[in-house]
Amino acid sequence: MAKTKYRVPPLKNKAPVWASTVFMGMGQLLFQKQYVKGAFYALIELLVLINSKYFIKGIVGLVTLGEPRPDLPIRQRPNSIFMMVEGIIFLILLAIFIILYITNIRDAAKLQRDYERTGVYPSTRAFMSSLADTSFAVIGLSPAMLMILFFVVLPLIFSAMLAFTNYSSPHHIPPANTVDWVGMDNFKTLAGRSLWAGAFGRTALWTLTWATLSTTTCYVGGLLIALALINKNIKFPNVFRIIFILPYAVPAMLSLMVWRNLLNGQFGPINRMLIEWGWISQPIHWLSDFTLARISVIVVNLWLGFPYFMMLITGVMTSVPADLYEASEIDGANKRVQFFKITLPMVLYQTVPLFIMSFSFNLNNFGAVYFLTGGGPTDLATTQSGAGATDILMSWMYKLTLDLRQYNMAAVLSILVFLVIAPFSIYNFSRTKAFKEGEL
Amino acid sequence: MSAITAKKRRPFSIGRMLTYLLLYSILLSVSILVLYPLLFTLSSAFSLGDSLAGLTVYPFQQPMGLRQFERLFNETNYAKWFMNTLKIATINSALSVVVTTVTAYVFSRFKFGAKKPLMMSLLILQMFPSFAGMIALYILVWRMGLLDSHLGLILIYAAGNIPYNTWLIKGYLDTIPRSLDEAARVDGAGYFTSFWKIILPIAKPMVVFLAVTSFTGPWMDFILPRLLLKSDANKTLAVGLYELINGRENNNFTMFAAGAVLVAVPFIIIFAFNQKYLTQVLASGAVKE
Repeated sequence: MAKTKYRVPPLKNKAPVWASTVFMGMGQLLFQKQYVKGAFYALIELLVLINSKYFIKGIVGLVTLGEPRPDLPIRQRPNSIFMMVEGIIFLILLAIFIILYITNIRDAAKLQRDYERTGVYPSTRAFMSSLADTSFAVIGLSPAMLMILFFVVLPLIFSAMLAFTNYSSPHHIPPANTVDWVGMDNFKTLAGRSLWAGAFGRTALWTLTWATLSTTTCYVGGLLIALALINKNIKFPNVFRIIFILPYAVPAMLSLMVWRNLLNGQFGPINRMLIEWGWISQPIHWLSDFTLARISVIVVNLWLGFPYFMMLITGVMTSVPADLYEASEIDGANKRVQFFKITLPMVLYQTVPLFIMSFSFNLNNFGAVYFLTGGGPTDLATTQSGAGATDILMSWMYKLTLDLRQYNMAAVLSILVFLVIAPFSIYNFSRTKAFKEGEL
Repeated sequence: MSAITAKKRRPFSIGRMLTYLLLYSILLSVSILVLYPLLFTLSSAFSLGDSLAGLTVYPFQQPMGLRQFERLFNETNYAKWFMNTLKIATINSALSVVVTTVTAYVFSRFKFGAKKPLMMSLLILQMFPSFAGMIALYILVWRMGLLDSHLGLILIYAAGNIPYNTWLIKGYLDTIPRSLDEAARVDGAGYFTSFWKIILPIAKPMVVFLAVTSFTGPWMDFILPRLLLKSDANKTLAVGLYELINGRENNNFTMFAAGAVLVAVPFIIIFAFNQKYLTQVLASGAVKE
């Protein structure tokens, strides 16, 4: 659709627009006889001006984050983190104010344009009745918007900002000490040659390896089981199916914690069973050996994850139209050809999006690691950075926040993880019903 | 059809027999691998001994009783954790339904300048993973004096789900003909009445879906409650069960197993009832329209 651009004729009288630019609502009040609306706009600007010292204090605080005052008792020292949160709140309020200010100027211009075309300004009564309409919309939207501002937007801005500070234990934790802006230093630390960089490189690589292997094993496992069960000569396929679906029905967290105990090196029944059978003489350190722990995480995840793909692939295979098979039979295709030329391509084609979704889920699959190994076992690189052998970025971030209080590094990681995840999120959401059916 | 397959059935051969033997042995061993951890947990929950080391490696080979369940309710706050989780899930569900449906209704039925930018912002916000603001949420909740309270947790859950659910519900409301509620308004009904009496009843399936997903969401969520709830009596089931066993594997496994069985059984039952629906959802997700 080509949009024709009409030239808007310039306003003859620009005075109201200028008046509203100088002070909110002045154009509407002085020139355009919009007393209620004008007063409302003017009131907003008045409120902001009266409270301007808080705005300035808040934003200055955000810039300086407070000077260290070792001379004061701890409770009276400036708390950089509170200053930061409050600074962001004032920034958000300021942004809302600026948006309202622009709206006010545009409103004055629109009123003037309508006036020059029709020769009348809308009456106060007309404004009040349109206000009744909009008030439902405003009251309806405000709870959601406030909640999102406070609990979604504010934390995101705050986290992003933390990545550029030195907010970390032991030297920069308020209230005893202040926090400072450090620019890109944290990013440089991760990219440099420190133990941090080593831990980051190892964890990032393992996160990718883990996501690839865990998704692939579950997919292939699910595919093989689905293929075995679709075989007409297998008796009681549904009994098998019900058994195989069980790991999907039990909450993953519980299964993972059970597996942690089954694989316990000392008392775990699996080691005891293997010893009893005479297969091994010494207990195997399933979860405390560097390589073995990584393998265990993937194998246990296979136990958890194959039912999902089994269900999915069975669904796709039964939905392949029967006439495709009949037609190919007439053309002389045997079972093997049918499988490789019809069934498999159909299954692959239709499950690729879900494979990608599952991959992006596994990139952040905190539970699969944290509940099974807690990120361990540990080694030299762990002592400073906290990242264990099986830690993925997500579980490392969690430990950095909760146990080690390295908030700045956790924030850097969350930014990096977000950059990796974002394309997947866009892809996933663009496929959902919500997106396809919703129009803007 | 049957005539064709009957004709095509190949005669008995050793090779085919071996294939089926192999297939059955694979299916049976996978079944054992799948069932063993579940049966072991079930048998541990009903064992009389308290230690992991004392359990027999094969399930149900030891004396059984309800001792672990008694311990769970007498020695831990399990009942409290359960009630806490139930409370959080219920309030979250109600709050999400109210806030999201009203928001979606406004987005679906009103025209205003900020509508497009707001919808786009919601779209972008739902892309951020929930953990991205974790540290900030902790400090925010702390600053608001809501640390170790359920209110902070509920507000965060409900707020976090608004962006995606608003898109979902708005998409559904857009499919309901506007003439319906416009007719009601011509008859003198206000926006609220037409929303409450006309739109909501039609959108019931979607509202139920929203209520159910926001009810089940908090049950096994771990990260947020672990971060925000401090005292034992305020914990949710997931955190309580985790801390019951973390670092005390050998002594508390059987009690943990009892707690896990109590949570998992309702989950399995709900799953069994919804399995057909779930398979459909999964399949429809796979099949591109």
